[in-house]
Amino acid sequence: MNRALIYFALAGVAAVLQTVLMPLLLQGDYKPNLVLLLVVYLGLHEGPWRGGLIVYLMGWFFDGVGGAFPGLNGFVMLAIFLAVRGIVTRVNTESSILLLLLVMAGTILQAFLFAFALDFFRQDISVSSQIAWQLPVQLLLNFVAAVVFLKLAVWLQRSFLPRRDLPGLRKLDRRYES
Amino acid sequence: MWEWWQRNRPLLLGAVLLLMALLWYSINLRQQDETNFPERMVLILTGPVQAGLNQVIRGAADVWGHYLYLIDTEQENRALLENNRKLSAILAESNEVRLENERLRRLLDFKEAQEIATLPARVIAEDATSWFRTITIDKGSEQGVVEGMPVVVAEGVVGRIIRSSPRFARVLLITDASSAVASLLQDNRARGISRGKGERLVFDFVLRQEDVRVGDRVVTSGMGGVFPKGLIVGDVQSVDRQEFGLFQAIEVTPAVDFSHLEEVLVLLRRPQ
Repeated sequence: MNRALIYFALAGVAAVLQTVLMPLLLQGDYKPNLVLLLVVYLGLHEGPWRGGLIVYLMGWFFDGVGGAFPGLNGFVMLAIFLAVRGIVTRVNTESSILLLLLVMAGTILQAFLFAFALDFFRQDISVSSQIAWQLPVQLLLNFVAAVVFLKLAVWLQRSFLPRRDLPGLRKLDRRYES
Repeated sequence: MWEWWQRNRPLLLGAVLLLMALLWYSINLRQQDETNFPERMVLILTGPVQAGLNQVIRGAADVWGHYLYLIDTEQENRALLENNRKLSAILAESNEVRLENERLRRLLDFKEAQEIATLPARVIAEDATSWFRTITIDKGSEQGVVEGMPVVVAEGVVGRIIRSSPRFARVLLITDASSAVASLLQDNRARGISRGKGERLVFDFVLRQEDVRVGDRVVTSGMGGVFPKGLIVGDVQSVDRQEFGLFQAIEVTPAVDFSHLEEVLVLLRRPQ
C-alpha cells in the first residue's frame, strides 16, 4: 500500500512537471514523458496484478491532465506494462541500459497504440502521420529524461538513503554492475 | 487442457485485461463530451498545485531572465551593477505590467465587441503529453464554465472547453488532431472544416473549383453550434489542387500563437 502511494505521488509530481515546468523550459509542444519511465520501472519490479492495477489507475489519473479521451492513457500504459512484464523473465533486468532501451521501446509502443486507438476507433481523426513526425524528437527527449532521472535517483539514494535498498535502484548503480 | 491453461494463463489474462481496458476506452468515446468523476477529481486535485507552481515558476523565470544573469559581471562594476540590477528589475516589472496591460486591453476591447457574455481566465498548465494539445485554465463550473463553451483571444479562436471542475477547466485547442471547427473563407465564403494538425490546421472539404489563395483568411462559419460566426481561425498557408479528387488540400496557419498563451476569454454560451 505504501509503495502504491509512493508510485501515485511520483505520478502526480511527473504530471505537474510535464504540465507546468516542461512547457516553460522547452518552449514548444514537446515534453519528455516521465510517467513512461515509471510504468517501465513498475513493469520490471512489480507483479502483474498489483502493478497492472496501479498502472491502469495511473492512466485514469493521466486522462485528467493529458489528452481528451477517457480510458486511453489507461489502455496504453497497461499495454506497455504488460509488454515489459512479458519480457522481464527473459532479460537481464540488472542492467541500466536495458531500462533505457525499454523506455525507448515503450515510447515507440505508446506512439503506435495512440495512433491505433485514435485512428481505428475514431474514424474522423487521423493522427498517425502527426505522431510519426513527432516520434524521433519524443524518443530523444524521453531518452535524455530517462538518463537524467536515473542518475538523479541513484545519486539521491546514495546521498540520503545509503542503507536503504530501494527496489531496482541499487541495480542501476554502476558500483554493483559487473 | 488444464496444463495448457496453466502454461498460457499469464498471456491470456493479460490479453483479457487489455481488451477490457480497450473496451472501456471505446465505451467512453460515446460519453466523451462530459467530464466524468475521476477526471473532475484529478482537475480538483492538480489544479491548485498547477496554478501555484505556474505562478512560482513564472516569477522565478522573470527573476532569472531580467535579474540574476547580471550577477557574474566584473568586480569593479559591482556598485554600478547593483543599481543596474535594481533598475532592470523595475524596468522588467514595469515592462511586464505594460505588456500584460496591452494584452488585457486587447482582450477587453474584444470582450466589449462581443455580444455574448465572456469570462477572462488565465492559462495555468498545458497537456501532459506531446501527442495532444490541451490547456488548463483557472476558471470552472463555479464561474459558469461548462463543456462545449468556446475559448478565444483577441487574435482568434483558441479552442473549446472539454472538461470542467468547480474551479478549473480543460480546453481542447483547435490545433489538436481531434478538434474540428466549421469554417469558411472570409472572401469567397467557401465552407469547410478546420482540423488540427499539430502546429497548424488543415482546411478540409473545400471543393476543387473554389478559388482559394495563399493568405486568404479563414473564419468560423457558426455551423458547428460551438463557435459563433466570424471568429478568426487563421490564414491559408498553402493550397494543393490535385489533378483528381473532389477537394483541395489546404493548410492554415492559426491566428493565435499557442506557445505564448497566457490569458484567454471563455464565451459563456452553451453549445447548440
